[in-house]
Amino acid sequence: MKKNKKQFVWRYGFALIVILSGLLLTYFNIGNEFLGFSSVGTWLLYVGFLMIAIVTLQTLSNKKRIIDERMEYIASKSGRITFLVIILTSFAIMIIDGIKPITISYSYFMSYFICGIVLVYLISYKILLRYS
Amino acid sequence: MKTRIKEYRKKFRVTQEELADKVKVTRQTINALEQGRYNPSLELAYKITKALKQKHIENVFKI
Repeated sequence: MKKNKKQFVWRYGFALIVILSGLLLTYFNIGNEFLGFSSVGTWLLYVGFLMIAIVTLQTLSNKKRIIDERMEYIASKSGRITFLVIILTSFAIMIIDGIKPITISYSYFMSYFICGIVLVYLISYKILLRYS
Repeated sequence: MKTRIKEYRKKFRVTQEELADKVKVTRQTINALEQGRYNPSLELAYKITKALKQKHIENVFKI
């Protein structure tokens, strides 16, 4: 219980730092159009408030969660699979970039890449949990 | 690994859910153990043996 409280304090703290950075960047008018938002500050504000909403929902939820040794074992296995996928994808991207330069902006590229990594992890975890 | 978890569960009329609650794992883990899809740690094997009122781990788990 104490550990959970500490975790939530850290999460709220991080969300507040993100919001504060967003406010500062917006106030000083730093940054251009970013990921479909008018500026980096606006995007940071959006992400910060989203974090607060998620953490609040997690705090309010009374759902009893059991994480047993099999789940931890499967999590480490899917972590390994994800790591392998990252290396192979990066290699493929390097080759594709060599054939035809990728012109997409770095922020968009990384957001797609991170979404892909999270998706690969979740899918591999669910498949392993069900079938192994 | 072969187990006799199912056999003892039936004997003592314990459901997978109840056994899982006793040893603090998910029902899916008990199912995986029964089907031999997962090899438990020594700690979990000991807990399950105790929960199924057995004295020796060898009575429940066999390699």
